[in-house]
Amino acid sequence: MLNELKQKALKEIQGAKDLKTLEELYRQFLGRKGELTAVLRSLKDLPEKERREKGKLANQIKLELENIFNQKKSEIRNLKSEVQDGWIDITAPGILPALGHFHPITKIRQQAEEIFQSMGFTVAEGPEAETEYYNFDALNTPPEHPARDMTDTFWLKNKKLLLRTHTSPVQIRYMESHNPPLRIIAPGRVFRHEATDASHDVQFYQIEGLMIDKDVSAAHFRGILQEFFKRFFGPEIKIRLRPSYFPFVEPGFEIDIKRGKGDWLELMGAGMVHPNVLKAVKYNPNLWQGFAFGMGLDRLAMIKYKIDDIRLFYSGDLRFLKQF
Amino acid sequence: MKVSYNWLQSFFIGKLPTPEKLVEVLTMHSFEVERTEKKGSDWILDIDVLPNRTHDCLSHIGVAREIAVIIGDRPLGRDNSLPKGRTPLKEDKSQKIKDFLEVKVQDKNLCPRYCARVITDIKVAPSPKWLKERLEAIGQKSINNIVDATNYVMFETGQPLHAFDFDKVEKGIVVRRAKKGEQITTLENEKYELDQDILVISDIREPLAIAGIKGGKKAEISQNTKNIILESANFSPINIRQTSKKLGLRTESSIRFEQGFDPNLASEAIDRLAGLIQEIGGGKVIQGMIDIYPKKIKPKTIKLEIEKAKRLLGIDVSIKEIKNILEELGFELRVTNYALRITIPTRRMDITLPEDLIEEIGRVYGYEKIPAQLPTAVLILPERNESLFYENRIREILIGVGFSEVYNYSFISEKQVMGEQISDLIEVENPVSQEQRYLRPNLILNLLKNVKDNSRFFNEIKLFEIGKVFEKEEIKRAAGIFALKNKPKEAQEFYSLKGVVDSLLNKLRISDIWYSDQISDSRFRILDLFHQGRRAEIKVGEDSLGWLGEINPEVLKGLGIESRAAGFEIDFEKLVKLATEEREYLPPSKYPAVVRDIAILVEPAAKVEEVLNLIETAGGALVQDVDLFDIYEGEEIGEAKKNLAFHIIYQADDHTLTNEEIEKIHNKIVSVLENEGGWEVRK
Repeated sequence: MLNELKQKALKEIQGAKDLKTLEELYRQFLGRKGELTAVLRSLKDLPEKERREKGKLANQIKLELENIFNQKKSEIRNLKSEVQDGWIDITAPGILPALGHFHPITKIRQQAEEIFQSMGFTVAEGPEAETEYYNFDALNTPPEHPARDMTDTFWLKNKKLLLRTHTSPVQIRYMESHNPPLRIIAPGRVFRHEATDASHDVQFYQIEGLMIDKDVSAAHFRGILQEFFKRFFGPEIKIRLRPSYFPFVEPGFEIDIKRGKGDWLELMGAGMVHPNVLKAVKYNPNLWQGFAFGMGLDRLAMIKYKIDDIRLFYSGDLRFLKQF
Repeated sequence: MKVSYNWLQSFFIGKLPTPEKLVEVLTMHSFEVERTEKKGSDWILDIDVLPNRTHDCLSHIGVAREIAVIIGDRPLGRDNSLPKGRTPLKEDKSQKIKDFLEVKVQDKNLCPRYCARVITDIKVAPSPKWLKERLEAIGQKSINNIVDATNYVMFETGQPLHAFDFDKVEKGIVVRRAKKGEQITTLENEKYELDQDILVISDIREPLAIAGIKGGKKAEISQNTKNIILESANFSPINIRQTSKKLGLRTESSIRFEQGFDPNLASEAIDRLAGLIQEIGGGKVIQGMIDIYPKKIKPKTIKLEIEKAKRLLGIDVSIKEIKNILEELGFELRVTNYALRITIPTRRMDITLPEDLIEEIGRVYGYEKIPAQLPTAVLILPERNESLFYENRIREILIGVGFSEVYNYSFISEKQVMGEQISDLIEVENPVSQEQRYLRPNLILNLLKNVKDNSRFFNEIKLFEIGKVFEKEEIKRAAGIFALKNKPKEAQEFYSLKGVVDSLLNKLRISDIWYSDQISDSRFRILDLFHQGRRAEIKVGEDSLGWLGEINPEVLKGLGIESRAAGFEIDFEKLVKLATEEREYLPPSKYPAVVRDIAILVEPAAKVEEVLNLIETAGGALVQDVDLFDIYEGEEIGEAKKNLAFHIIYQADDHTLTNEEIEKIHNKIVSVLENEGGWEVRK
C-alpha cells in the first residue's frame, strides 16, 4: 500500500506544471492532513515489529518525496525565471558580421553592364597603355588632326606608348578581331593630362558602346540609350540629342539627361561610326553601319549618388567607401 | 567665342528670337552656348563652336548663317555677301596698286593666298561710337578707327586682317621664313626670337609681323599714319599652330588660322575692310588688289543617296525637306536617280563625305525629332567575359570577409618606390606632378598609402583593389591589405590574411595551393617591403600565383603607420585561368566519425606542414581530416619547444570504424611521428 501511494505521488508530482499545483500535491500527500501523514499516524496502532518495518519504509518514502518536491519546485522556478527574468534589450546593437564595401564605380559599372548585357551587348576590354594608332589614327584622328591637341595625353618614356585618353581604342581592337554584326560595351580606366579640380582628375572611368549591323540608325541609338537611362535612373528620365563633334563619328551627338525638374546634364558623347573608322578595321562602309558612344562612369556615379568631388573616388578614404 | 546679339540682329531684316530662345535654338541645332550675359542693351552669348565648324563659324556672319538656316530667315542672300546698310567700296581709278606696292610670297605652302590693298590719305582717329560699342561688347579694346576696323571685320567675317603703315614699310612686302636669330618687337613691345620654322611678313630689311599671329612695332598704325597697306591672307594651319605653341603666343588671329578656313574669304574680307575704312577714316582706295593665289580652291561635289540618309538617321524625311535643308545651307543641288549631286561652298571645309551631309540634314531637321526605336537586328547572345566574371566573384568574396574596395591612381611617386629598382619602372614623359611620375608596378604600394591615410580614423583597415599594374608588361592584379592598430596576437595579420587568401582560392575552386618561403618568382621582387621571416610565395603546383607577407615594421614606421599590416598580391590573369565554377557533390559518409586528439612537442623551427604531411601519410584513407587547434610555446613545456595539438578525424565511407581499427591507425601515426619526425608525442 505504501509503495502504491509512493508511485501515485511520484506520478502526480512529475506531472505538475506550476508551483500552485505542486503546493496542493504537497498538502495532499505530506501536509498535516496528507495521505502519507495519515499513514504515519496510523502506525502507532500496529504491532511492534510491523510498526518498525512500516515506519522505516514510510519515513524513507517521506524523505524521498520531499526531495522530489524540492527538486520539482526549483525546476519549475528555474523554468519560470528563464522565461520571465531572461529579458534582453533588443534595441542594443547587433554583433556585426565583417562586411566590406563595393567601390561606387564598381556598383555603377556592374549596373550598366547588366543593363547592356540584357540588351545583347558583350563586355570587352583593352589595354590602358595604348599605341598612338589605336588611340588616335584608327579613330580617324591622324597626326595633324587638331583633335589630337584637344585631348591632353600622358606619354610613356621610351615606350612609344601613351595612356589611353578614352575607351574608344577597344572599338578598334574588338572590330579587328570580330566580324560584324556586333554589340559591345567596354568599361575601363582612361587618363587625361590636365589640372585636377572637383570635376576633373588625371584618371577616370568610361564606358564605351558600339553596335554595328546592316541597318542600325540614330533612331536605334536613341532607343537603346533611352532604355538604358530608364533602367538606370528610373522611368521619369528625359534624354535629348544635340549636335557635337568627335572625329570618329559622323554625325556626332552629345546626350543630355534631365531628372525631374533639374537642369539638363551633359552625359555622353556619341554618334554614327565614321566610315574611315570602319575602313581602318577593314569593314565595308557601304555594307555596315552603326553607332558608338562613350560616357564617364565617374560622372554617372556623381549624379546618382550626389558626390561633389571626383577625387574622392581615388582617395581610398574609408569614410567615403563605407557609404556604398 | 563671344557673340553680340545686337550685332547678329544687324544681319537680319526680321526680328531675331529672344536671346533665351536663340540659345536653345543654337544648342539643339548647332553649338552649345556656355553663358549668356546682359551688357547694356545688348546680350553677349559665349558660343562653344564645335571643332569641325571653326572653319566657318568663328565669326558673327558664321553664327548668323547658322541661325538663318534654323529659323528659316534668309538675311544674307545666297552668295552670303552684304550685311545690310554697308557702303560699297569706291576705288580711286587714277592710281594703280602695282605702282605702289610689290608683294613677294616666298613660301607658298605656308602662305597659300596673300591679298593686299593700299589706302592713301586716311585720318587716324578714335572709332565712331557704334564701332567702339560692338567691340567692347565682345570684350575687345578700342584702339583707333583703323585698327578697330581690321578687328571688326575679323569678328564679322572670320578673316583675320592686318594694317601696316605704308610709309614705314621699306620697299614692299616679302612673305618668308624668318632667319635664325632674327628678332621682332610686337605691338605690345614684347621681343621674340625667331627661327626658320616661323613665317614672317617682312619688308626688305626686317620682319613687320609674325604671320597670322601678331603685328610688329615697326609698321604700326600711329596717330601720324597717312597711308596704309591692308593684308588679308591665308596661312598653313599646322605652321601657325606650331609657331603659336612655340612662342606661347595665342591671339584671336592665330586661333582662326590654326583651325584653317576658306582662302576664298580673303578677297571678300579685304574689300569689306577697305569699304569700312573709307567710311570711318576717309582716304582713297587705290585701284586694284594684289592677290597671290596660285592654287585656287574650287567647290567640291558630293553624291548623296537619299535612302542612305534616311537609313543612317532612322527618320522618314521627304526628299523635298532634304532638298530644302541643303539649299538653305547654301549648297547647290542637282537631282539624279535616287541621289543628289551636291556642290559644297568652299567655306564648308568640314564637308567631304556623304555622312557629313547627313549630319547637316539631321541637325537642321532636328535630332529631337529622331524617334527612339529598339533595333530589330538578329539576336546575338552576348559572350561571357571570363575576366569580368571573376573580377566580380573576387569582389564578392573579399567584401564578404570584410574587405572594402579601393580604386587607386595608376601612378606612384619616387618616394613610394620600395624594393623595385627605379630603373625598372615605367616613367611618364609628362607627369602632372612628382607624386605621379611613374606607373605603379604593383598594387600594394598605393594600398599602403591608403592605410596611412585611413589610420587616423580607423583601428582596423581591410582594403583590396583589382587593377592594372605596369611592370615590363601591363598586367591585371588583385591585392589586399590588412592593418590592425592595437597590438594583436603574434602574427595575427599574417594568418588572418592567409586565411582570406585560402578562402578566396578555395571559393574559386583552385586546388593544390601551397605556400613557399623560398621566393622564386623574379616578378615579385619587392621583398624589402616584407618582414624577412613572414613572407610567402603563393603557389599552385610549380606555378607562382602571387605573394603574401607581413609588411616590414621598419617600412611601416618610415611611412608613419602605427599599425602592423600584412598584404597579398595575386596575378589576376593566372587566377582566371585556374578558377572554375565546376563542382561535384560528394555525399557525406553514413558512418560515424571519431575524433582523437594528439599533441606533439616539436622544435620551434618545425613547420606545421611537415607534421601534417606525416600524419596524413601515416593515417591513410581513413583519416578524413586533420585540424591544428593549438600552437603553444611557453615555460611549462620548456624552452626551445613548441606544442602542436591536432584533432584527427577518423571515418570510413563503408562501415563503422571499430575501436581496434582506430587504435591501430592512431598508434601507427604516433610511431611515425616519433620515429620519422623525431618528435615527442605527448600522452
